[in-house]
Amino acid sequence: MLATSGVDKVSRAEVYLWRVVLLGAFLILWEAATRRGWVDPFFVSQPTVLAMQIADWIRTGFIFRHLVVTMQETIIGFLLGTLLGVAVGFLFAHWEKLARIFDPLMVALNAMPRVVLAPLFILWFGLGLLSKVVMVVSLVFFVVFFSTYTGIREVDRDLVNNARILGASPRHMIRHVLLPSALTWIFASLRTSVGFALIGAVVGEYLGSHEGMGYVISYAESMFNATGVLAGLLVLMAAVIAIDIGLQRLDARFSYWKPVPK
Amino acid sequence: MTQRFALPREDREFTAVQDVSFDIGGGEFVSIVGPSGCGKSTLLGLIAGLVPISAGHISLDGQPVDGVNARLGFVFQRDALFPWKTVAQNVGLPLLFRGVDAASARPRVADWIARIGLTGFERYHPHQLSGGMRKRVALAMTMVYEPQIVLMDEPFGALDVQTRNLMENDLLEIWAQSRRTVVFVTHDLEEAIALSDRIVVMTASPGRVKAVYTISLPRPRSVTEIRFHPDFGRLYETIWKDLKDEVRVGYERSRQGLAG
Ligand SMILES: Nc1ncnc2c1ncn2[C@@H]1O[C@H](COP(=O)(O)OP(=O)(O)OP(=O)(O)O)[C@@H](O)[C@H]1O
Ligand SMILES: [Mg+2]
Repeated sequence: MLATSGVDKVSRAEVYLWRVVLLGAFLILWEAATRRGWVDPFFVSQPTVLAMQIADWIRTGFIFRHLVVTMQETIIGFLLGTLLGVAVGFLFAHWEKLARIFDPLMVALNAMPRVVLAPLFILWFGLGLLSKVVMVVSLVFFVVFFSTYTGIREVDRDLVNNARILGASPRHMIRHVLLPSALTWIFASLRTSVGFALIGAVVGEYLGSHEGMGYVISYAESMFNATGVLAGLLVLMAAVIAIDIGLQRLDARFSYWKPVPK
Repeated sequence: MTQRFALPREDREFTAVQDVSFDIGGGEFVSIVGPSGCGKSTLLGLIAGLVPISAGHISLDGQPVDGVNARLGFVFQRDALFPWKTVAQNVGLPLLFRGVDAASARPRVADWIARIGLTGFERYHPHQLSGGMRKRVALAMTMVYEPQIVLMDEPFGALDVQTRNLMENDLLEIWAQSRRTVVFVTHDLEEAIALSDRIVVMTASPGRVKAVYTISLPRPRSVTEIRFHPDFGRLYETIWKDLKDEVRVGYERSRQGLAG
């Protein structure tokens, strides 16, 4: 979080003002352009129509059913991927040999575009929750794995030596030195990995499922319904922003011991 | 003993200290002085059992050093506080590691925090402290578990003169009370003379023992007053003559190293 000195507050208000003004101008231009017939609303929809569509979705509860499905896949996949990533990261950092043997494999697997694998996952694990969770795990795992691995490898040697002198057992070392050090790296990549998790779930749904936000978008698309596609995207965007704010709060809670960045 | 480090990228070895040999008696306060890079920190790392020795041997109380010794304390050159722990948690950490239960650890931690003058700062994190305060926490962290042997690597190097003198006096007091063995690394000859029973002067890299001096100034000492003792100046001059040459050699060599 930014420091809230007097100067900052003023410039912050100004920033918000500019955001609102620009967004408003964009929406008005969009609305006007479609009403005057400069562009065909069939292709780009219309702000008022979009707003009505979303209001309708909320009123009928339609959107919540799909949002819940997507969030479920995202959260389950994220937790599993993080757990696996931390575990394997620890293992590899601990047994140098393991890391040396599997290094090319990890790099190759990570370089593989997971989006292209999605159809395979759907083939293997079906149209339901499982295939999406696998997709999410495959994305999240590598982000977390690499940060854990680096976090432990880059741990301050002086701290490790100090802990040894002070009498730390291997378990103490993990609990009081390695894990906290790795956590800072994991947290630094948290926004990336959560973003990946959501993308994984939505792409999985988009390519094959019968519920979730990806499905909503893909269905609207198949009906040539630009309004449906854009409304779906807007709802997703809102979800991402909400999650991001939550993560920033969480990060602030866990980095209480760090100097405040200027 | 001799310590060589492999330089994997250059496919050769670097000799940090060579044929160093000395004995330290129990309860003695010994300082090691020498030019920068002569292997003082390396030497302490070897005594602490943090790095395996290349050749020779070190023993503590007749036991060869092979790994970290629980009765030993080490105040590092760079204060190695745990940034995610508060002052109180840092000071209490060695007790936690040793399985001391929280109830009996608490008064000991509080006592040491009071002795380093940081009462009221228990819940601060290291980044909220000044450099001198961090050094003091590092000192308390080492002293709280009452190690028999204390290694100190330029513990007061980064402090202003006033704080430094205060802490030096504190150290002498603690040492006098408990009669621990202290091995104290410094590049400040005055500090070494004021504190020690003996001073080991090392040569420029690769470090060897150049000379050992016994400092028989009266105790108890106050570091600020002992400087005016008639013997102090004489000792300083003699040892400085030894040290000066080495500092110059070390400096020239590192400059040539940079040029070539
Ligand atoms: N792990 C290592 N690998 C290779 N060389 C090392 C290693 N540790 C120390 N050295 C080298 O050994 C020499 C002595 O280092 P050391 O840190 O012991 O010096 P020092 O006497 O403590 O110096 P200063 O007073 O500046 O702290 C240096 O030239 C350093 O480059
Ligand atoms: Mg050093």
